[in-house]
Amino acid sequence: MIDYKVFRQFGDAIAHLGEMAQKSEIPDEQRVRRAKQVMLSKIDRQMAVDLEACVKCGYCSEACHFFVQTNEPKYVPTRKLDLLRRVYGREVSPLRFVRRLFDAEITADELRKWQELVYDSCTECGRCSYACPMGINIARGVNIMREALAAAGLAPDELAAVAQEQEQRGTVFGVGPKELQAAIAKLRESGLDVPLDKPKADVLVLTTVIDILLFQDALLATVKIMNHLGLNWTFRTGGFEAANFGLLSGMEDLQRQASRKIIDEAIAIGAKTVIVPECGHAYPALRWEGAAMAGKPLPFEVLAISEFLGREIKAGRLKVKSAGARKLTYHDACKLGRHGGVIEEPRDALRALGVDLRETDPTAEMNWCCGGGAGIFLINRAAGLRQKAFELKQQQIDATGAESVVISCGSCRLNLMNGQANSRWPVAIESLVELVGSHLAD
Amino acid sequence: MDWLALARGPLFFLSLAIFVAGIAWRLVGIIRLSAKPSLAAPRSTATATAAARTVFARMLPRPGFHPSATLATINPYIYHLGLAVVVFGYLPHIDFVKRLTGAGWPALPDWLVYLAAGATIVSLAIALLFRLTDPVLKLISRADDYVTWIITMLPLLTGMAVILEPSSAVHARETIVYPATLVIHLLSVELLLVWFPFGKLMHALLFIPGRAQLGAFNARRGVPS
Repeated sequence: MIDYKVFRQFGDAIAHLGEMAQKSEIPDEQRVRRAKQVMLSKIDRQMAVDLEACVKCGYCSEACHFFVQTNEPKYVPTRKLDLLRRVYGREVSPLRFVRRLFDAEITADELRKWQELVYDSCTECGRCSYACPMGINIARGVNIMREALAAAGLAPDELAAVAQEQEQRGTVFGVGPKELQAAIAKLRESGLDVPLDKPKADVLVLTTVIDILLFQDALLATVKIMNHLGLNWTFRTGGFEAANFGLLSGMEDLQRQASRKIIDEAIAIGAKTVIVPECGHAYPALRWEGAAMAGKPLPFEVLAISEFLGREIKAGRLKVKSAGARKLTYHDACKLGRHGGVIEEPRDALRALGVDLRETDPTAEMNWCCGGGAGIFLINRAAGLRQKAFELKQQQIDATGAESVVISCGSCRLNLMNGQANSRWPVAIESLVELVGSHLAD
Repeated sequence: MDWLALARGPLFFLSLAIFVAGIAWRLVGIIRLSAKPSLAAPRSTATATAAARTVFARMLPRPGFHPSATLATINPYIYHLGLAVVVFGYLPHIDFVKRLTGAGWPALPDWLVYLAAGATIVSLAIALLFRLTDPVLKLISRADDYVTWIITMLPLLTGMAVILEPSSAVHARETIVYPATLVIHLLSVELLLVWFPFGKLMHALLFIPGRAQLGAFNARRGVPS
């Protein structure tokens, strides 16, 4: 059961999060210099093709939940790359000698203006790439823009505050090893065997601040499932936090530091598998970008918990009992589905539970984002936009006639819970790992 | 040397040289940049197949998006196909290429080419109307979009001015009977060749690596494109 008191406290904490950020005064010229430095270091051949190829058709606007819900032209995805395009045009492009005559240098005021475009109104969901006739990976460009703004000291205060906490204290929302130990002690009180800091294990299981503070049933379900499978697994206090605020805020050094912590622990215990909890961005952070952060291929496989569940169920290793013919729909978190490739496995798990699984339209890699991803859930000034995007998601889910939406991402879950509280939405919001954990075969 | 000889000779070859060299310059300028290989274990290694599939699949709009009147999904098909019919299907154009290279191919009937030219001109006019009136397109459009529109439209309009008799009559005759309009038409085509590498017309080539790299990227992650 979710403790709604904690949920409200969490909301209150977010409301004041920005005040915790350590602000630094950076002269405008330095902001521009730092932003450009990041952009130039990130522009490679793929990005150059993406920046050169846009024909300004505007199709990407139809794919963006923020544009569709507001009809504000400024949110058209391709425009979010305009500053990057200008820096490329002036400094890197083969036509740079000509482009310099026509394209002005970017300015600090423009960087400030772009905060709203690349943080508040883009979840890097990547849906726009599917509408683009040229195949431009706009989300990647937005991610570079986030890194550029972060280097210029222009990340939103809320994201900067959490990133600074993770970087300086190694905690996220005050959750560190002690809080993990306390949560595990609580689970042990219920009679569960919860391995912690085993020196050697085949499987390293990660968790996240949201599960420790709020979605404790997801943590409980994870433990039950791992034990049910009889695996040699462990949590590690030295590397348990899957959330990576370096990635969300655009601070690559912190992203590397947070990923390295997990990678080093996994290597130290000889893990063959690392399981990422229900935390959307944490999956691509480790699965797809972890090796780049380590500078070498990872000597273990990285699985999202939903991917792991589907795989184990399909292989017949994890036995579940029927959850009844309940009308359920599954929400593909963008970072798991469209960005991660985890599409079939969660559905395999749900089908094994015997539920009446109803697909949204569109679904899978074309699914609409919940509106709160890529850290937007924490950005207070984006609350209005986020709610509008949520309403699109709400309509999509309502159209299925499902009584419950199953999610495997804590951030999506929080965003839907928040939207639900705002609009008194009657559809239940459930976690996949909790659903599986409560229907394990005897 | 008269204007016609100039436009059919040195100016044409100069514009062709700029066209080829400009494209090469722009492509080499992109290819020379580093490309970081992904170190993550791929979910699929069939990236080449996915890349090729995406190049073709993106020729059709992907299902799942809201239909839009303002973005006019059909209009771009009309002017792309129309241009192809006019450029490669009109007998005097084929004769022109044959005169230079020796290579030729069967022409399309005049009525079809005229229809395609008319549809293309109307379609390009509609595209411009969208660009000038749709708030999204207005916001994202740059000088390149308008210059390219003019430079694409000019050969169509000047070409229409040259059509005074059936293409078979032009084909049968050795002499040019209306040199002034033909010179203007040729100059507009040469302007297009010169502009091609420097503006958005390069998308005629860049669509291939753009789509292919997204297809490969998604395939590595096990996501359909």
